[in-house]
Amino acid sequence: MMLFIRFILLISISFSAKGVENIQAHESLERLSKSLQQLNFSTSFVVVKNNQAEPYHWFHGVSDNNVELEILSLLNGPRRDILRKGEVVSYIEPELPPYSVISHQISGPIPAVFSQDINSLSSSYDFISVGRSRVLGRPAQLIRIESKDQHRFGHWLWLDQTTGLLLKLAIITKKGQLLEQVQFTHLDITDEPSESIKQLQSAELPHVIELSKSHQNKQLSWQVNWLPESFKRLKANRHRINSNKQPVEFMLYSDGLVEFSVYVSASIDKQRAVEYVMDGATVVLNQAVNGYEVSVVGKIPALTAKKIANSVVLHKKPLFSKNTQP
Amino acid sequence: MSESKFETVSSLVDNYQQNDAAFDELVNDSELSDTWDRYHLIGDVMRNDIPETFQLDLAGSIANAIEQEPTVLAPANTSDSPRNYIEELKAKVIQFAKPFGQVAIAASAAGLMVLGVQQNVANNDVITPSQTVQTIPFGGVADPVSYNVNQPNRNSKQQAYVEQQRRFQALLSDHQQQIRLKSVATKSESTADINQDEDLPK
Repeated sequence: MMLFIRFILLISISFSAKGVENIQAHESLERLSKSLQQLNFSTSFVVVKNNQAEPYHWFHGVSDNNVELEILSLLNGPRRDILRKGEVVSYIEPELPPYSVISHQISGPIPAVFSQDINSLSSSYDFISVGRSRVLGRPAQLIRIESKDQHRFGHWLWLDQTTGLLLKLAIITKKGQLLEQVQFTHLDITDEPSESIKQLQSAELPHVIELSKSHQNKQLSWQVNWLPESFKRLKANRHRINSNKQPVEFMLYSDGLVEFSVYVSASIDKQRAVEYVMDGATVVLNQAVNGYEVSVVGKIPALTAKKIANSVVLHKKPLFSKNTQP
Repeated sequence: MSESKFETVSSLVDNYQQNDAAFDELVNDSELSDTWDRYHLIGDVMRNDIPETFQLDLAGSIANAIEQEPTVLAPANTSDSPRNYIEELKAKVIQFAKPFGQVAIAASAAGLMVLGVQQNVANNDVITPSQTVQTIPFGGVADPVSYNVNQPNRNSKQQAYVEQQRRFQALLSDHQQQIRLKSVATKSESTADINQDEDLPK
C-alpha cells in the first residue's frame, strides 16, 4: 500500500515537472527570439556536416532609430555575404550579381523562425527543456524542439543562460542520429553596435528585386497529394534552374521551421529509380517516372521525401516540351 | 529514510539546485542512487525518450559478465593476485555505474541506435542511397566533364555518376535560392518576376 502511494506521488511529481519543463522551454525560446532581435552581438560559428566545417561570422545590431542590422558572412572560399538593413536583405554571392529582397529575416544556416514567433511551431513540435550543460565556456540550457510525428527531424538548442542567445544547434533524427550541427565558437555582446554594423548602416544595398504574387502562385498541372501535417505551400512557379538552365515546375512548402521544395521537369530518362543524397540534414531525392523527373529537396527525412515524391500526381502534361532540354 | 531526502533527489534530477553535499550523499547512499535512477527513468518515459529495448540493471550485468570472464593468469610480479584485481575493478565499475545509470542507459541506447540505423538502411533497399553528395566548395562550379567521343562506353558509368551529382547539386542550390526569395513572394505586389529568365540577374 505504502509503495503504491509512493508510486502515485512519484507520477504526480513527474507530471508537474513535465509541465514546468515545457513552460521553461517556451520561455527560453521566446527569450532567444527577443535576444536575437534586440542585442548587439558579434559572434562566430561553424556549421559541421558531411565531415566538413564551414566557418561563419555573424554580426547583429540595432541602430539608434531602431532598425535591425545584420551581417552574416562565410569565411572560407569565395565571398558569400548576407546583409540586412531592417526590411531589406541583400545576398552577395559569386554566382549572381548582388541582389536584395524585401524580407525581415536572413536565410542562413540558422532557422529564421528562431528570431520570430516560436509559438507558430507548437502545432507540429513539442518544446522540451532537458537540462543544463556547458557550451562555449558558458552555462547553457538544452531545449529540444521535437517533432510530434515521424516525418521530420528534431532540433536541439543550447541556449546561453545569461543572454538567452544560441550557443549550439543540432539537427537530430528520431533515432538520435546527429546530422548537422552549428557550434558557436565566440560570442561578444556589446552595448553599442560593432564597427562592421556601423559601416553597414551607411552602406548602400543592391537594388531590390520585386516579385509579384501572381507569378509566385501559378496554377501548375500537378499536385502533391501527401504532406506531413502543418506544411503549407508558400509558392508555386515555373523557372529555370540557375546552374544548368533546366526549366522546372516548382512548389515550396514550409512548416515554419523547415522548408522543402518539389520539382517536376521533363527527363531524358524514361524511368529511373529513386536516388537520394544527404547533405547534412538536407535530403536531395530524385526519380524519373514516365519521362518526368520528380525531385524533393529539404531538411526532412529521406522516407518523408520519398513519400512526398510518390504522391505527386500529374493532371496533364506540363507546359514545357521535352525539346527544351539543354 | 525521510521523505525530504527524496525531495532533494527530485529537485536534483530537475536541476533545481546545485548542492555538492546533497550530491555526495546521493552517490554514497545506494537507496538514494536507486531513486535517482528511477526518477530519471520516469522522466524519460514521460518525455517518450526511452529506446525500444533497454536494460535496467546494466551495472549488475556488467558485474556478472566480469565475474564470468576467465581469470587471466599473468606472471604475478606484484603481491596483488589477479582475483583481487578483478574484485577491485568490479567494485569500481559498480561504484562508477550506479550514479550514472542514466549515462549507461544512454550508452546502451546509442548502441541500439547504431544497430537500428544499419538495419534501417538494409530494409530500405528500395531507395538506393548514393554516396555523399560531393558538395562543391562554396562558389565553386564543378569542372565541366569533358565528353570523350572515342571511348563513350568506358566512361559512361562514371559520367552517369557525375551527371547525377551535378543534378543533385543544382537542385540543392536552387532550393536554397528559392527559400531566399520566398518572403518576397508573400509581401510584394509588384509586377516584375525574378523567375522569368530575362529578369534574373546574370
